[in-house]
Amino acid sequence: MIQTLIWVLVATLLWLLAWTRRSSNTRYALLLLGSYVFYASWGIGFLAVLVASSLLNYACGLALRRKPTLGRLWVGVGLNVLLLGVFKYLPPAIASSSGFLGHIIMPVGMSFWTFQGLSYLFDLYREEELDPALLEFCLYMAFWPTVLAGPVCRLPNLLPQFRRTPVWDRDDISIGFSRIVQGVFMKMVLAQLLGAGLTRGAGVTAGFDQTRGGWGPLDVSLLAVGFGFQLFFDFAGYSHMVTGVARVFGIRLEENFDRPYFSPTPSVFWTRWHMSLSFWIRDYVFLPLAAMRRDVWWPYAVFVMSMTLFGLWHAAKLTFILWGVYHGLLLVAHRAGQKLKRRISNPWPAPVGGLLSWCATFFLVSLGWIFFRANDAGQAAAMLRAVVTPSGYWHSVLPWESYVVVCFVVIVYFAYHGLLAGLDAARARYSETMAREAGVFGTASATTTFGAATIVTVRVVDFFGERLWWWAAPTIAVLIVSVGAAIVRHNTAISVTPFMYTVF
Amino acid sequence: MIDYLVHEVVGRSDVRISADMPLVSSGLIDSLALVNILQKLEDVTHMRIPAGKVQPKDMDTVDLMFATAQRFGKARK
Repeated sequence: MIQTLIWVLVATLLWLLAWTRRSSNTRYALLLLGSYVFYASWGIGFLAVLVASSLLNYACGLALRRKPTLGRLWVGVGLNVLLLGVFKYLPPAIASSSGFLGHIIMPVGMSFWTFQGLSYLFDLYREEELDPALLEFCLYMAFWPTVLAGPVCRLPNLLPQFRRTPVWDRDDISIGFSRIVQGVFMKMVLAQLLGAGLTRGAGVTAGFDQTRGGWGPLDVSLLAVGFGFQLFFDFAGYSHMVTGVARVFGIRLEENFDRPYFSPTPSVFWTRWHMSLSFWIRDYVFLPLAAMRRDVWWPYAVFVMSMTLFGLWHAAKLTFILWGVYHGLLLVAHRAGQKLKRRISNPWPAPVGGLLSWCATFFLVSLGWIFFRANDAGQAAAMLRAVVTPSGYWHSVLPWESYVVVCFVVIVYFAYHGLLAGLDAARARYSETMAREAGVFGTASATTTFGAATIVTVRVVDFFGERLWWWAAPTIAVLIVSVGAAIVRHNTAISVTPFMYTVF
Repeated sequence: MIDYLVHEVVGRSDVRISADMPLVSSGLIDSLALVNILQKLEDVTHMRIPAGKVQPKDMDTVDLMFATAQRFGKARK
């Protein structure tokens, strides 16, 4: 942990130095050096693979820029798949081998930056006007905030930002730091709380890893929902942090999450969960494949294929493949349901229908996390069997603390977003009222007590929002001091779980 | 094309679609609809449009759809 913090510090210093350079080549060199120093802290061998992949994709890109043919694209795709195969998919298959192959370890974040390289090749084949220099392309592949676990960036988004003259923007810094604070809270507090629980053995991790089995239906439902939120807070927290770090330097990354658990349908869920990868699959896999044939069934088959690839992207493990197939089938079922809905009259009023649709989506998506988290397919099958065994509803093996923590976090999450929605509505009302009353504070409050409360609430929230710097900086300082103190005490005070998505 | 989008894709006669209205980025049409629209575009323009060359952003508005067909489309045999 201390070593990681030192490398983060070195990378940050190099980046700060880079931001003061006017010459773009010096700036790129320092930014790239900072990124490579950071990445090499995970292993110098990992860095060698990243550099090799960058050079390989750049060379394939040069060939595609000269002539964007399908053959050249396939060579590039094949080489990337080969690299992934050797470093990601082969090691688990030959883990017991004693030779050289048995020592291969997947470089951290490889799935993310390989997909970035691939998107560059696809974009060139689509005749996008991209002309990165070698330094720019290597920086795109090794970009320090995203190299470990995404978001999966696209060159058309990053290249113009790299080329812009760097400026320190007060809003960017303010928004960046607030996102870092938000991310730290989601990861260190919420994900940690759900994963580890308040007492030993009462967390979601212990619930899944307990070996005696015998889960009751409520246990499984709780673990599925709990893990879904743990993964969300962990990965969305990470995404907030890296997006915030990049934003401090004035670079806007692709968003990865947009309140996924509010999705009313499975299709909407996949436009809000791990968006950078989901849109990658949509743009480079689903669309080209689905438009190849005109048979009615074909796009539905491609849904299942694309989602299976989504699962396989995580690891060549049966549980991830099943998770992908499951989501592919959910998407197909949703489209079939949509078609059916157009033919028959809907008996429900719109709000009731919407609520039912949301409940079904939330339940089905949560159930899917069992495949994602289960240690093997046998465990997933046992847990799913438990869900459909009504006779066991009063049977439970989880401690009551697990129920309290998961229910508390989930309820607070929905209540928080409900409050935000209410605040937005209040702000809209506030604007209307103030406009009507010619902007004189106090005049509007004469209308109703509720109106006065609205105005006061919005003013208080805006007051703190506009002065984010005042409270964000001390909050970060307190967090850093707390984490530092805990580390100094030999990790006895806290034991932070690594980010879940860095293993992919 | 606009008629097709309103009646067959969106399925709501109260929605008005203009030639420069964002459809993909606004969330009005999804990935499956995009596939159907691409095929309809091929029929309307009598061209074969290689799907591997087309990105969702190239299909964001009706104007862009026809520009994409012009750019990548090849006359059908």
